[in-house]
Amino acid sequence: MAAKKTMTLNLTDAEMRVLDELCEKKDLSKTAVLRQALRLYQLIESRVDKGDKLFFEDEKTKEKAEVMML
Amino acid sequence: MTITVSPIFLFNAERSEPEAAELWDGITDQQLGDWEGEWVPELFKAVQKLHRAGVERRHWPQSRHWNWRKKTEALQGMLAHLGFSIVCNGMTQGMMIVDTTMKRCRIEEQKGKNLVYVEFVENAPWNRPELAQPPLYRGIGSILVRAAIALSQEEEFKGRIGLHSLPQANSFYANTCGMSDLGMDPDHQDLRYFEMTPEQAEAFIAKGNQP
Repeated sequence: MAAKKTMTLNLTDAEMRVLDELCEKKDLSKTAVLRQALRLYQLIESRVDKGDKLFFEDEKTKEKAEVMML
Repeated sequence: MTITVSPIFLFNAERSEPEAAELWDGITDQQLGDWEGEWVPELFKAVQKLHRAGVERRHWPQSRHWNWRKKTEALQGMLAHLGFSIVCNGMTQGMMIVDTTMKRCRIEEQKGKNLVYVEFVENAPWNRPELAQPPLYRGIGSILVRAAIALSQEEEFKGRIGLHSLPQANSFYANTCGMSDLGMDPDHQDLRYFEMTPEQAEAFIAKGNQP
């Protein structure tokens, strides 16, 4: 297991509420949710940097909506 | 890149005894050198043998097209992807790449939950029963599946793992690992999708090295 470092995170009430909801929904600790978020963010950034586009597809209609990454 | 090396044992089928080996939590240049210098030529010879014996192409090992160097380079530095390898007698005997972020569970009772998805897993050609009789080392697949389960537990996914199996390995995942077979996946070259629940993971770990 890789060594881990501790940090303090300052979140607003709204941000903390969302984090709590995600923890509840995904049955994960706050640390695990934030680690997942970081991985996903890195992955998306890396693909967008290469020129890829990010889409959401409606499963039924197959309609695609591009997510604009700024 | 810092690699953690854990001691393990493989079963040496030639000597009929366990042999000390190592599980690495990474795929390094050493592994890629072994793959290019030893695995690829050996796999080429095995495919040639199958071809000369008149074995249909669809029965040839489908991993023959895998390029571990390209796969590893593409995932270098990405937190979502991790590599594992098994080294025994100075040679890489198995490799695996997993994704901890992009996939979700499909079994109804755990649908939508996070899991460790095994993207690629391969044994050295001389350890594969369909290519070498007898295989030199046994237990590589089980150790790599156990590593995926341990990672899943470490990530708080409770041992849930999933994978698409190449036809040659269907029986291993269904019978040896006790994973649920969710059938052929039309979105994934019609390969069968297997998934493991926390209970199945515990049962597999408890089983140890029994077949």
